[in-house]
Amino acid sequence: MEEQKVISTSRRTRWPDLVRLGFVLVRVTLGALFVLAGATKAYDPGAFAIEIQRYQLVPWILAALISVYLPWLEMLSGALLLLKRFERGALLLTTLLLVIFTLALASAMFRGLSIDCGCFGKAFTATGTTVPLLRNLLLLLFTGVLWMESR
Amino acid sequence: MRALRQALLIFLAALVPAGLTAAFHPRRPAWSEDTLLPGEEKLQTVLAWGSGVLWIDARSSKEYEAEHVPGAILLNLEDWEQLFPRFLDQWHPEEKVVVYCSSTACELSHEVAERLKANGISPVYVLKGGWEAWKNRK
Repeated sequence: MEEQKVISTSRRTRWPDLVRLGFVLVRVTLGALFVLAGATKAYDPGAFAIEIQRYQLVPWILAALISVYLPWLEMLSGALLLLKRFERGALLLTTLLLVIFTLALASAMFRGLSIDCGCFGKAFTATGTTVPLLRNLLLLLFTGVLWMESR
Repeated sequence: MRALRQALLIFLAALVPAGLTAAFHPRRPAWSEDTLLPGEEKLQTVLAWGSGVLWIDARSSKEYEAEHVPGAILLNLEDWEQLFPRFLDQWHPEEKVVVYCSSTACELSHEVAERLKANGISPVYVLKGGWEAWKNRK
């Protein structure tokens, strides 16, 4: 019991207050962005399926299945990050999703596809692929920060 | 290991709302690529209409210049202000307007069709499969 108390105290004091505030900001930004991205896609899965199809990476049926599933996975992961529940699982999923999104964007750029990211459904169009790619890289950095915090 | 276990639980939990979305969402995707979205028509149907069809190419001018449906007029959102008056010169109210873009994956044809309707043009249809469908016709 005594040992547990010591460990938990050392965890609390491992990072200075300012750094811990940074962790909170990173977590809230990442979680909120995932909830927002999921919600905008969940509003119109049909349109999101077309956005997926534009990447020309998967057959239509798979695009349709992803369009109904992915928004909920994003929202759930984002919400759990915000609530600090199932934290490591949510962080693992957000990291994996960001890696997949980044690879898809990079492949679209490489193939010269003139498409919108579709990252926020139809809420923000005409975003191209370069800005979302850079944003994803920044968010991946955020996940790295949170992995560091959760160690 | 804990992270993997938790991720798996989240993964499974997301299946529930996803299943409900697939079954009941009013804007759920069509499960077959052949399913027509509102306002879409298949190439065979349009060809069966015979004459009295005005084809509209909603792609970029570069793609239009490379190849297009014979008789099609270029009308895209990029150059709408210049192209719409030209469209009006060639449009006859008794004609069926059919808009196409590159393939099923593009949405430009739907956007142009909506804008045409907003400008009082009717009836307006979107070609399912777009230019790809035209090129692959047998």
